[in-house]
Amino acid sequence: MDTSHIRNFCIVAHIDHGKSTLADRLLELTHAVADRDMRAQYLDRMDLERERGITIKAQAVRLTHNTYELNLIDTPGHVDFTYEVSRSLEACEGAILLVDAAQGLEAQTLANFHLARDAGLVIVPALNKIDLPAAEPDQRAKELADLLDRDPDDILRISAKTGEGVEDLLKAVIDQVPPPTGETDAALRALVFDSMFDPYRGVITYVRVQEGELPSGSRIRLMATGAESDAEETGVMAPEPMPVDALGPGEVGYLVTGLKDVHLAKVGDTITLAGKHAAIEPLPGYREPKPMVWSGLFPNEGGDYSELREALDRLKLSDSALSYEPETSQALGFGFRAGFLGLLHMDIVKERLEREFDLELIATAPNVEFHVIKGDQTTVVHNPAEMPVAGTFDRVEEPIVFATVITPKEYLGAVLDLCQSRRGELVDTTFLTPERAEVHYMLPLAEIVFDFFDHLKSNTRGYASLDYEPWGYQESDVVRVDVLLHGEPVDAFSTIVHRSKAYAYGKQMTERLRELIPRQLFDVAIQAAIGSKIIARETVKAKRKDVLAKCYGGDITRKRKLLETQKKGKARLRKVGRVDVPQEAFIAALRADAGAKKK
Amino acid sequence: MSAHLETAGIYVHVPFCLTRCGYCDFNAYAGLDHLASRYVGALLSEAELAAPAWEGVEVVSVFLGGGTPTTLEVADLKALLARVRSVFAVTPDAEVTIEANPDTVDEQKLAGLLEAGYGRLSMGAQSFDRSVLAALERVHQPASVIEAFRAARAVGYDNVNLDLIYGAAGETLESWERTLRETIALAPSHISAYGLTIEPATALGRQVARGDVPAPDPDLQADMFEAACCLLGDAGYGHYEVSNWARPGYECRHNLGYWERRPYVGLGAGAHGYRDGSRSWNVRPPEEYLSMIERGELPVGGSENLEPADAYLEEVFLRLRILQGIPASWVDDGRADPYLETGLLIRDDGHLVPTERGMLLLNELVLGLTG
Repeated sequence: MDTSHIRNFCIVAHIDHGKSTLADRLLELTHAVADRDMRAQYLDRMDLERERGITIKAQAVRLTHNTYELNLIDTPGHVDFTYEVSRSLEACEGAILLVDAAQGLEAQTLANFHLARDAGLVIVPALNKIDLPAAEPDQRAKELADLLDRDPDDILRISAKTGEGVEDLLKAVIDQVPPPTGETDAALRALVFDSMFDPYRGVITYVRVQEGELPSGSRIRLMATGAESDAEETGVMAPEPMPVDALGPGEVGYLVTGLKDVHLAKVGDTITLAGKHAAIEPLPGYREPKPMVWSGLFPNEGGDYSELREALDRLKLSDSALSYEPETSQALGFGFRAGFLGLLHMDIVKERLEREFDLELIATAPNVEFHVIKGDQTTVVHNPAEMPVAGTFDRVEEPIVFATVITPKEYLGAVLDLCQSRRGELVDTTFLTPERAEVHYMLPLAEIVFDFFDHLKSNTRGYASLDYEPWGYQESDVVRVDVLLHGEPVDAFSTIVHRSKAYAYGKQMTERLRELIPRQLFDVAIQAAIGSKIIARETVKAKRKDVLAKCYGGDITRKRKLLETQKKGKARLRKVGRVDVPQEAFIAALRADAGAKKK
Repeated sequence: MSAHLETAGIYVHVPFCLTRCGYCDFNAYAGLDHLASRYVGALLSEAELAAPAWEGVEVVSVFLGGGTPTTLEVADLKALLARVRSVFAVTPDAEVTIEANPDTVDEQKLAGLLEAGYGRLSMGAQSFDRSVLAALERVHQPASVIEAFRAARAVGYDNVNLDLIYGAAGETLESWERTLRETIALAPSHISAYGLTIEPATALGRQVARGDVPAPDPDLQADMFEAACCLLGDAGYGHYEVSNWARPGYECRHNLGYWERRPYVGLGAGAHGYRDGSRSWNVRPPEEYLSMIERGELPVGGSENLEPADAYLEEVFLRLRILQGIPASWVDDGRADPYLETGLLIRDDGHLVPTERGMLLLNELVLGLTG
């Protein structure tokens, strides 16, 4: 194939700015899908994706237009998946920067734009939704032109919904995005930019061949993991799978690897041929997926630990970023501590476990990974229960992120207040336009996982957007707050927070639990403590009355049944020391905390 | 569990009331008075239908409850008791109780009841606080309780119970103590004091569910219970069941039969009967009851045979209600210890007996002891 007629591009856009709709129009325009087979958001495979209107897994689609082979690489659109985005961008030479003409630039678009520019991609900017009454194309064009240092007239104006301007956009991609380069004779190096598990065909990777040739049926080697196998099939998505004999330089397609474990073919790895034709150097930029957020996952009442294990094991086959280890909670029983790329990833995993495996789960409040340092020893802690007692270490470091918030200027004050209250350090504030500000903050990730999104959205009436990238670890005065019932710590409620937030957390949990813990035959003290120091206390007063006032001949059967019901209820209580706690109380107490994940 | 020489009680249900009180979930109806004479006829028939099965069993108590049995004419009540005595083996000294509403009795009627053989009178006083009576939707006034009580004494009633209810919305501990003192001043032989229980399927239950009326405060009810224990105890009343106090020798023999799990016959709409580990009950709607009896059928609405575990649970929760308690040997080792240590139970002559504090937490005790 003549690489001069290949264009590899992606679409960089914020959620809801119309990326999937634009992809639909491109499919139609290039007659990739017969009219009768067309459906909205064609490329979003999983039900979950279509319902949430977001794309979790990248996909590559080959379109054919006037002798050109156009590979549209659909990138994930969320802050949790920055690394996956960067790998998708590596597979492209150009990017459509798609911005909602009413909403304007969002933090995430900006972050991904920076990624695309840093990757050397040619940017084709376009304003979408120009048919909307609220659209302000002139203003948005100026904003974009400033960002790109271009003439506002260069910004295309389209409506992915009506199709207006889409053909011009396609033409601009062909004209402006350079064709890929790469020698056919070189040793094969193909970038894995997505990897999935198919129950029938095993691990399928999406690859971009940088150089050399990947023939169907060849023996391949994954350079990072060292795995080798006989590739079963190469092909392209057009947009349904279509086998091809080989993928050449610059081409994008799929590879049925013959592997059974998705962890052997991770995003960012380089595929080469096994044996004497192997490449020496892998492509740069491979990174192990790194969990940022941790949470305990437990089967709900009556739920089955082994079912949860099996579900996680199966989910892991198609999600190489998911990690977990067994955890035993005295309050919640047997479960797992799972690591996620971020809050959305956590939410998706939980939802898939519940939906695809029909499980009911309890999740503990999410937390980040802390580094506990003593001398030259660093202990990694991602479970509050593992946090050593104060005084037994030198210091603790917590993860810091570089956060970008874009907000209309009338909410700038609210954004600054929020970031300030979350221990943020202001880096700078710039104005994209006179109406819209871009704010950079250094923020502890722990503050973001703790209902930051909720507050950002409510304090700015939904107008502000957030993006962040890991920056590193920084010393922090964090403490473990334990919650004790009648003197017994309840592991599920332990948390690691900054000392300045400890009292508020303790007070909130003890007050909430006072409402949730049923009265016992004795006064139950509910305490929050840092080490041996009590920072908050509530009391559930002893129950004094629990008796049937009347019990005569006609009442006995009914009252006996009532007692039997109470007895069954009692059997379901969990014991924390001497205190009987219904599982609903744990769930309710944890749920209120987990508000952070709703966006 | 026990083989008494077989004695039994008879409960007769009269489902008519002048008005329906908001808290009451009994099988009772206002505005069905026109069925009264048919109903009495049906009771007479049912007694006859039921009696053969109880041949050879000594009946030591008869209890006419309701509803408001005193809505019936004295002549009917007299005929009813006469029929019961003629078809069952009622002992001459049997305890015969009739429940009365203060507004449905005067001296003449009370004299008639006593003469007819109803030797024990149980009157629904509920409270001596007007606002509490109003909250309970009772139509009588405190004065009519006093009047009816004096009338009962005047015609020669020696054995009179007054029913009280505590914990209605707005009632304070002080108000309850006044009610107790006024009750004691009348010197009835027996006092029942019930913590108000909100039953969902009642007018009051719906008001509480809607939030229109506050639910009783369990701690205040506990204080009220303790006040009753103190004041009634000081006045010489023995606390022989969770909600019942009596002068020595005046404990209600009929009700003790329920708690001791002795057999009982149930006559009338919705009445329950019990014998040898099986319980049966009549259909509840008065019309249905009437038509079944009039077709010559036993008006059975349902029955159950108690499994050993059911029987054990009943035995424990019923016997713990009375001072007798349960034999310590019924309870697995160690189960009673926490309650003995915390003073909810005491050990008395090989029995586990709830203290007054324990009586208030009886459900906990039952669940804890039976596991």
